Amino acid sequence: MSNFMNLIWNEQIKLYAKKGTWVMFAVLLALALGGGLITKFFGTESDFKEYGDDWQTELQAENEELTAEMENDEFAGFVNEMVIAENNYHLENNIKPLPYDGWEYVLENSFLTSVISLFTIIVAAGIISNEFKWDTIKLLLIRPISRSKILLSKYVSVLIFAFTLLVFLLASSWIVGAILFGLNGLNPMVVQDMMPGYVQNDVLGEIVKSYGFGLVTLVMMATFAFMISAIFRSSGMAIGLAIFLMMAGNAIVAFLSQYEWSKYILFANTNLKQYMNGMEPPIPGMSLTFSIIVLAVYFVIFMAAAWAAFTKRDVAGN
Amino acid sequence: MSKPAMQLVNLKKTIGNKPIIKGLDFEIRAGEVFGFLGPNGAGKTTTIRMMVGLIDITEGDVLIEGKSIKTDFKGAIQHVGAIVENPEMYPFLSGWKNLKQYARMVEGVTDERIKEVVSLVGLEKAIHEKAGRYSLGMRQRLGIAQALLHGPSILILDEPTNGLDPSGIREIRKYIRNLAEKENVAVIVSSHLLTEIELMCDRIGVIKNGELIAIEEVKTAENKEGLKEVYIEVEPMETAKAYLDTHLDNEIGVGGKELSMSVKREEIPHILKSLMEQGISIYGVRVLQATLEDKFFDLIGENTIE
Repeated sequence: MSNFMNLIWNEQIKLYAKKGTWVMFAVLLALALGGGLITKFFGTESDFKEYGDDWQTELQAENEELTAEMENDEFAGFVNEMVIAENNYHLENNIKPLPYDGWEYVLENSFLTSVISLFTIIVAAGIISNEFKWDTIKLLLIRPISRSKILLSKYVSVLIFAFTLLVFLLASSWIVGAILFGLNGLNPMVVQDMMPGYVQNDVLGEIVKSYGFGLVTLVMMATFAFMISAIFRSSGMAIGLAIFLMMAGNAIVAFLSQYEWSKYILFANTNLKQYMNGMEPPIPGMSLTFSIIVLAVYFVIFMAAAWAAFTKRDVAGN
Repeated sequence: MSKPAMQLVNLKKTIGNKPIIKGLDFEIRAGEVFGFLGPNGAGKTTTIRMMVGLIDITEGDVLIEGKSIKTDFKGAIQHVGAIVENPEMYPFLSGWKNLKQYARMVEGVTDERIKEVVSLVGLEKAIHEKAGRYSLGMRQRLGIAQALLHGPSILILDEPTNGLDPSGIREIRKYIRNLAEKENVAVIVSSHLLTEIELMCDRIGVIKNGELIAIEEVKTAENKEGLKEVYIEVEPMETAKAYLDTHLDNEIGVGGKELSMSVKREEIPHILKSLMEQGISIYGVRVLQATLEDKFFDLIGENTIE
């Protein structure tokens, strides 16, 4: 076991010895900071508004103002309607609106998990193929350690890396958000527009959910890139294929959605958010359980293919 | 005789339908330096890759300290330290950190042991520099260091003197001899630098087109028939040649100002004496050792790859 920890330690050292890895962290930090500054200086005023004790009257006045504006300016309609709807939700449920804060900023930044996916794909794609590129694979595989164990240590290292990026993103978003917007307590409630209407939830639960959904795509695509890397021993191909599929995934599903079998496509199932809040599945016959089973099957296939390619094939010369 | 350190049993490798290695059978004993000699494409590296489990064995087996590399990979490979072709290191890590990588993969390699090995290969000064900045010679030393870390009983070195300067070569050679003689390590050295093999090895195996065509002790490899090639610079040439033609059975060759002939060592003084008695001036005599190189080319003929 200590042996296995040493292997993971080795992989982490190799990873962080490269400048590119640090650039990834710098990019995440820049995005968290930049996003915060943009929200702070270009955000909608109403979001930051602090309401007094008489917030009900304030909201009603705001609604009247917005309705009046809509009559004069037809283009204001869409945004104003949303604000009015949200205000009405607050009024009907007697929830005092809280100003935008650091927690909400962390929640909004969950879309950056796709950037983490991108970086994880790059690392997963390189972790095997680089050993072939550097020709260090020979010295790696002539140790008294089975190839399966080396493969597993590399895969676990990829997951640890993804997790490190995730923690880093959460921490930097939270710090940037707390400094720029302040915090409404330890675990404030947030009101969100969930497609059928507005819902109030506690923010930590929402953060866990939205980042968690992002992780599904991350793990699947990283595993895919890892497999391609093990089979073709080329990082370029693994990165290219994985990123292309990640980007084009939804389009592929939409294009093929007329066919019944399209529900078995990986990308039709990576977005588990589609089953939340009683939404209709994109293709009839799909359910949360269905998607989880499909994802599990893909995962097993990816890992089995990577394992077969890595442990069974000859490591011959150029 | 003691148990062999490594044993190749009818070792075969077929890629597609093409037999690459056609059944190798030999063994390497503890404490000997075994030279693995052959032209490019003969199958040296393929054989070495099978010895260390990098490629599958089609038929036969490699036994290391009695353990099969096929069925007991860990048990077998733990006795082996190896360089396969060029010793490539992680270019972005220092020499020291490269060695640490490999140290972590086996039990009981301490920092003291790493330091010991580093000083053995004479790399103390550069050990904390990035390996990417190393010269080929330095990488070669680092490669040998990583192979020695865990104190293996079998050392496999593919072209170990590649890229080393003459003094480096002499050092490594001395070190390899030392390992074999003092620590009873079995060393397998593949090379096409024939003079190297000759100076370093106790035995050589010659491989050609995937087959072992000769295996012999280096000491007996020279002068098997006791004949030496002798060159004598004489004047006048014609008189000398005519004289020797009539008095010797051997064929006399002419090259430049020299006559050449293959004779036994004890014949040389007689030939010189009789030439002088004929009033022929002798300006120089040189004796050519029958080198391994000649042997090698005799054995393999042309360097053909089938």
